[in-house]
Amino acid sequence: MSDQKERRRSINIFLPLPGTMQGEVRVIALLLLAWLASVLGSQLGIWLLERSADGFWLTDLIFFNLPIHFWISGQFLPLLFIGLCLLFNLWMDRHEVRHMESTIRFRATGRKKGEVAP
Amino acid sequence: MTLSGVQLVALLMVVGMFLLFILGGLGSKLRQASDYGFSGSYTGLVGSGAAIASNWMSAASIMGLAGLFYLKGYYAMAFVIGWTGGYVLLLVLLATQIRRFGKFTAPDFVGFRYESATARTVVALISIVITIIYCVAQFRGIALLVSWIFGLEYQAAVITGAALLVGFVVVSGTLGVIRNQSLQYFILITAFVVPLMLINRKLGYFWVLPQFGYGEAVVTLQQQFGYYWSEPFASIDLFQWMALCFTLMFGTAGLPHVLSRFYQAPSMRDARWGVVVGLFFISLIYWSAPAYGVLARLFDARSGNPYKIPDPSQADLVTLTASLQAGLPVWAVGLLVAGGMAAAFYAAAGLLQSGAAAFAYDIYPRLLKPSATDADKVTVAKGVFLVLAVMVMLLSLNQVGMIAEIAAVAFALAGNTIFPAFLLGIWWSRTNAAGVLSGMLVGVLITVSTPLLGDLIPWVNTVFPLTSSAFIGAPVVILVMIVVSLLTRPPSDEIVTFLIRDVHDSGGK
Repeated sequence: MSDQKERRRSINIFLPLPGTMQGEVRVIALLLLAWLASVLGSQLGIWLLERSADGFWLTDLIFFNLPIHFWISGQFLPLLFIGLCLLFNLWMDRHEVRHMESTIRFRATGRKKGEVAP
Repeated sequence: MTLSGVQLVALLMVVGMFLLFILGGLGSKLRQASDYGFSGSYTGLVGSGAAIASNWMSAASIMGLAGLFYLKGYYAMAFVIGWTGGYVLLLVLLATQIRRFGKFTAPDFVGFRYESATARTVVALISIVITIIYCVAQFRGIALLVSWIFGLEYQAAVITGAALLVGFVVVSGTLGVIRNQSLQYFILITAFVVPLMLINRKLGYFWVLPQFGYGEAVVTLQQQFGYYWSEPFASIDLFQWMALCFTLMFGTAGLPHVLSRFYQAPSMRDARWGVVVGLFFISLIYWSAPAYGVLARLFDARSGNPYKIPDPSQADLVTLTASLQAGLPVWAVGLLVAGGMAAAFYAAAGLLQSGAAAFAYDIYPRLLKPSATDADKVTVAKGVFLVLAVMVMLLSLNQVGMIAEIAAVAFALAGNTIFPAFLLGIWWSRTNAAGVLSGMLVGVLITVSTPLLGDLIPWVNTVFPLTSSAFIGAPVVILVMIVVSLLTRPPSDEIVTFLIRDVHDSGGK
C-alpha cells in the first residue's frame, strides 16, 4: 500500500501517473520507437545492402534524382522527423483540449466525465 | 572586384547585411531576453520557428557541413540526421516541460530542479566550456572568410576576425544582438540557396529546387568520371557513424543555447509548434548543403582531377570555391560570403555573450562576490566577454579540425552532461543533486577520455571518440545518475510536488 502511495507521489517515465501523463508517455514511446527504428533501420539496411550487394548497386539506384540511400538519409529522414514532430503536436493539442474540458467539468460539477450524479 | 587583394564587393555586402540586421532590429518592438545574454524575439509560429532556426544557424551549418560532404561524402550524412533528429528528442522529451519550469538558463533550471548551488555552478562552467568550443568553430569560419576577403594568412585572419567581432559588439552594444530573428533567418537562407540555384542553372540542372537538382551531378560523377562520391560508409564504419549521429542528437537536446529557446517561448504551444516550423527551416539548409559538396567535386573532376584528395584546411570554404568555379556573378559570391560571415559572427557574439552572462550571473555572485550588485555583474560580464574572446582566439590560431567536427566536440560534451541532467530532471523525480553532480563529472571525463587516455587505453578511442562519445557516454552517465541518486537522500517533497503538479500537469494525482 505504502509502495503504491510512494509510486503515486513520484514521476517516473516507466511508471506514468494515471490520467494525463499515461497518455502522453504512450505517445512519446511510440514516436521515439519510430524515430529509433527509422534511424537504426535505414542505416543498418544501407550498410547490409552495401556489404552484400556491392555498394555500387545502391549508388546506381536513383530516386528523386539522387542515389536511393542518399535520398533516404539526406532528405527523407529529416522529413520524417518533421512528420513525427507534427504528429506529436497534433496529439498534444487534442490532449490539452480534452484535459482542459475535463478540468472545467470537474470544477463546475465536481464530477468526472461519465460520472453520474447521486 | 579587388583592391590591393581586398574583395570589395564581398566586403560591401557583408557590411550591408550587418547594417540590415541592425536596422531590422531597431524596428522590432518585441520582447527581449538580452539580460541573460540570449538574443531574439519572435511572435507567431513562423516567427517562433525562424527564431529556433536562426539561433541554430552558424558557421557549422552554413560552411562546415558542405565542407564535410565535399571531403568525406556520405560520412557527413551523420551530421544531417544527428542535427535534425535531435529535435525530435528535444520536442517529445524536453520542450514542453522546460517551458513549464519557467527558468531562463540551463544553470537556473538545474539549480532549481536539483536544489543545489553546486550543480548550478557546474552547469554554468560546462556551458562556458561548450561556448568556448563552439566559438572556436565559429572563429575558424570567420577567419577563413576574413582571410579570403582581405587576402590575409590564416593566423592574421583569426586575429583580425576576433578584433572585428569584439569591436562590433563593443561599438554596437545591444544593437549587436539580433532582434529580428525572422529577418535574419530569411536573409541567411536566401544567401545560402540563391547562389546554389544559380550554379544549378549554369550547369543546366533543375534549378528551381536545387535540393533535388544537384542529383544530376552525383550521377555525372559516377557515369562520366567513375567517382562514386555517395558510396555509403566508405570512410567510416557503421558503429563510428552511428556513434557520431547519436552524439549529435543527444548534444542537440543538451546545448544550452538551443534549450534557451524554450524558456523564452511565449506559450507551451508556441514552444512545441516552433520546433516543427524551426526544424523545417533548418532542414532547408541541410537539404541544400550536400549540393555544394558534390558540385565542388564535379568541378574538380571537370578540371581533370576526379579523385582529388582535397586539402582539409580549405574544405570549409567549399561553398565559396564552388561558386567561384561556377563563375557566378560577383554579387552572388558576395551574398554567400555575407551569409556565412553573418551566421558565424552572430553565433559567436551570441554565444560569447551568453557564456559571459553565465559567469557573471551564476558563478561570480555565488563563488567570488556574494554581495555583488547588478552593476558589478554587468561589469564582470563585459570583462568576461573579452577574456572569452581572447581565449577562443588563441585556441583558434592553430587549425585543429574542420568547423563541423570542432562543433561536434561541443555537442558531445552537452550530450554527456546537460542532456542527461535535463532528461532525468524532468522524467525521474528521484534524481537528486548527488546523482546529477556525479553523472556530469563522469560525463566530462568521458568527453575528454580520448585525448587524455587514448594512448594508454586504446579501446577508449573506439568507444568514446572525441566527436562521438555521447552514444555510449550518455547512457553511462544516466546509469551513474540513477545509481548515485538511489544510494543517497531523495529530493525534497516540494520539488517532487512541483514536478507532479506543474511540470507534468498531473494535478497531484
